[in-house]
Amino acid sequence: MNVETNQVSKPLLGSKMSNESFITLIMVGVLFVLFGIACAVVPNFYLPRNMLNLLTNNWYLIIVGIGVSFLLITGNFDLSVGGNIAMTGVFAVYFCQAANVSQNVLANGLGLPYGVAVLLALLCAMGIGAINAFFVAKLKVPSIIVTLGTMMLARGIAQIVTQGAQRNTSLPDVFGVVGSMSLKGTPIKVSVVIMVGLVIAAYIFERMTVPGRRTYLIGANAEAARLSGINVVRHLTFLYLTSALLAGITGILLASEFKAGVSNRALGYEFDALVISLLGGVSIAGGFGSVLGMFAGAVILSVITSSATGLLLSPDWQFTLKGVATLIAILTQRFALDKRKG
Amino acid sequence: MKLTENVLEIQDLVKEFPSVRAVNNVSFDIKRNTVHCLVGENGAGKSTLIKILTGAYMRTSGTVLLNGEEHNPHSPRDAKQRGISTLFQELNVVDQLTVEENLTLGMEDTRFGFFRKTDKINKMVNVMKSLEPSISPRQLVSTLSVAKKQIVEIAKAVATESDIIIMDEPTASISESEIARLFKIVKSLRAKNVTVIYISHRLDEVFELGDYVTVMRDGKHIGTKPVAEIKDRSELIRMMIGKTVFEEYTPKEVGSQEAILQVKDLCNHKLNGISFEIHKGEIVGFYGLVGAGKTELARALYGVDEYRGEITFKGKKLPATPDKVIAAGIALVPEERRTQGLFTVLTIRGNVPVMNMEKISRYGFINSTQERKVTLEYIDRLRIATNSTEKEAAKLSGGNQQKVVFSKCLFADADLLMLDEPTRGIDVGAKSEIYGIIRRLSEEGKSIMIFSSELPEVVNICDTIYLLFDGSMKAMMKNGPDIDSEKIIHIVTGGE
Repeated sequence: MNVETNQVSKPLLGSKMSNESFITLIMVGVLFVLFGIACAVVPNFYLPRNMLNLLTNNWYLIIVGIGVSFLLITGNFDLSVGGNIAMTGVFAVYFCQAANVSQNVLANGLGLPYGVAVLLALLCAMGIGAINAFFVAKLKVPSIIVTLGTMMLARGIAQIVTQGAQRNTSLPDVFGVVGSMSLKGTPIKVSVVIMVGLVIAAYIFERMTVPGRRTYLIGANAEAARLSGINVVRHLTFLYLTSALLAGITGILLASEFKAGVSNRALGYEFDALVISLLGGVSIAGGFGSVLGMFAGAVILSVITSSATGLLLSPDWQFTLKGVATLIAILTQRFALDKRKG
Repeated sequence: MKLTENVLEIQDLVKEFPSVRAVNNVSFDIKRNTVHCLVGENGAGKSTLIKILTGAYMRTSGTVLLNGEEHNPHSPRDAKQRGISTLFQELNVVDQLTVEENLTLGMEDTRFGFFRKTDKINKMVNVMKSLEPSISPRQLVSTLSVAKKQIVEIAKAVATESDIIIMDEPTASISESEIARLFKIVKSLRAKNVTVIYISHRLDEVFELGDYVTVMRDGKHIGTKPVAEIKDRSELIRMMIGKTVFEEYTPKEVGSQEAILQVKDLCNHKLNGISFEIHKGEIVGFYGLVGAGKTELARALYGVDEYRGEITFKGKKLPATPDKVIAAGIALVPEERRTQGLFTVLTIRGNVPVMNMEKISRYGFINSTQERKVTLEYIDRLRIATNSTEKEAAKLSGGNQQKVVFSKCLFADADLLMLDEPTRGIDVGAKSEIYGIIRRLSEEGKSIMIFSSELPEVVNICDTIYLLFDGSMKAMMKNGPDIDSEKIIHIVTGGE
């Protein structure tokens, strides 16, 4: 039962920060504290060059993190991105490799022009997204099951095409350009520029557009969204296709950087993408989160991993550190939100 | 144990909620081994009373004696151990287990964590066989009909030596032939040393089954009588509705206006051949008890549930998905505010414009100045009590939440509004405000359909009233000062 107060005081405009901005601020705060500690204990951590690295060396996780975050905001998982990165990279290489040039099966491709090969590979990536969308959005199968399946499906296709290894010969020079090129006179890679562009686009989508708003409405209450006239199936399909496309772009950039299509590329990236989303305050229950938060989450992750390297911890420690950081970050968020409510 | 004549004695029982006394000084006795019916309109206090008896709510004051001893259960489990079992509408059986496993669920005999076969199972199975021989103990519960699942629950209650079994509208979702079987079983329970408290909206069942009947209204106890002493349905109906004072409302004459919505022979899993017309500016009430098919009718029109039949809206065939129905000009305020209407984790600003984002955006980009302006406009227009457009909807009171849902639908610029239980769970002040809003809308030329299980609501604001029972349209009445509320209750409780 409710007690009604019938006094209507003058409504104010935006008098209070939203929970989202609050969480994003908390995570930025956590980031600065961690960074401060790292600067104090790790030699040369504060150098500008290292700081640039911290912001950019997870570019591939941030690109796939965009799609993963938006789906998480609607209350759905996309675990297929890691496998999809590998599959797209392998396909791009296979389509581009010269045809009938060698006895070695792995050296022979389809000999398609570079642009066509890339486009076709991206289409294949979106095929994985279409499968996800069909089962999750249309048939309402839980997303964790469906995308676990497509994760293995994509990885499996990559392994078949590379016979469990990699394809790296008879590629035209143009294939390696985009992944290894830097901005003139700087150490900033083109991939990083693409990442920054995509993050800005995603931020505009999230804050300013009607489809961006629908993402949050579906996550907040899918049934109310449907009864309010939102075509939930269509929107989830759009998000799964986008997420798959972003994974495909990442796959092509990584394949170009190494000039190889490797079947076990991006192993575990689906979970790293989840970790940075969660570190950035995207709620696993849906309806909540931000791409900028996810970006902050990615930087937190690289502060932790690179200070571990700087302290000469053996790489064996990385998983443990990531695990502890994730748990602490999520507990901090819960605690802060509960405090705020109370 | 010495057996008292009354299995249950309720004295001066009170349950207060922040804004309402749901149970107000109720006192009556229930005689041992009888079928005791409990009737009253929605909101009369029956469910609250039952929840106190079964330990779901704590009483505010008063006493309850069970077998002559103080009964103050602190949980449903506790109440069950003291001898009160309940057959809820949502049945408490596990579909994936067998009948036998369900019977012993929660009281299995074990040794070192492993199940042991004991006499307990045989005893339970025997009780069930005596009630209904056609159910096999090895059968999966998912293969049983709803009625047979009820019998499994009854058997469990009888075998665990419950003194009282409370049945909450057990016939709401079962077929005619199954009802007859259930009644036979209920009648046989008297001989098995069980008292039944039977809640139903169908008055005929009271005469068929009951030994005693208690009528409640507005949280108060109106009377308890042997059923044999009650002359007919209308005596019961008079006790149920009393001298309801209706607000003055003069219905409009709208019959001459053009019909905006025409429904012909609408059928689906719940509805049987429903036909009606709605005119411009008309307020139409659809009244019926729980389970009569009101929500199903709203959902079918809105394109949520499938249907057969012909629906014409503004001269065109109505599409059958919510987004297209909204685009055509119909908006729904759903039955369940929190789960179907509101985005509780979002702000008021996040809620108000969602059904018509086109209006505050250009080329897909939201104009946030306009968004705030619109939100402020609705906060002002519907007098939503808040100090900010950025307040989370979850933090508003029920009445204000409902106003936010109304704002959403009004902003959709619909010509026809469907309101499913528009004032459920909100207090009197907010209720009359919402009635005011509805009347204003109708004066602006909007047509309004109200689906309600509260008679005063329908009589207070509607021009035309349709009566539903069991998925069928039973009658159409023009509202007016001489409207016969007894006749209405007679029809919606299944009378001819």
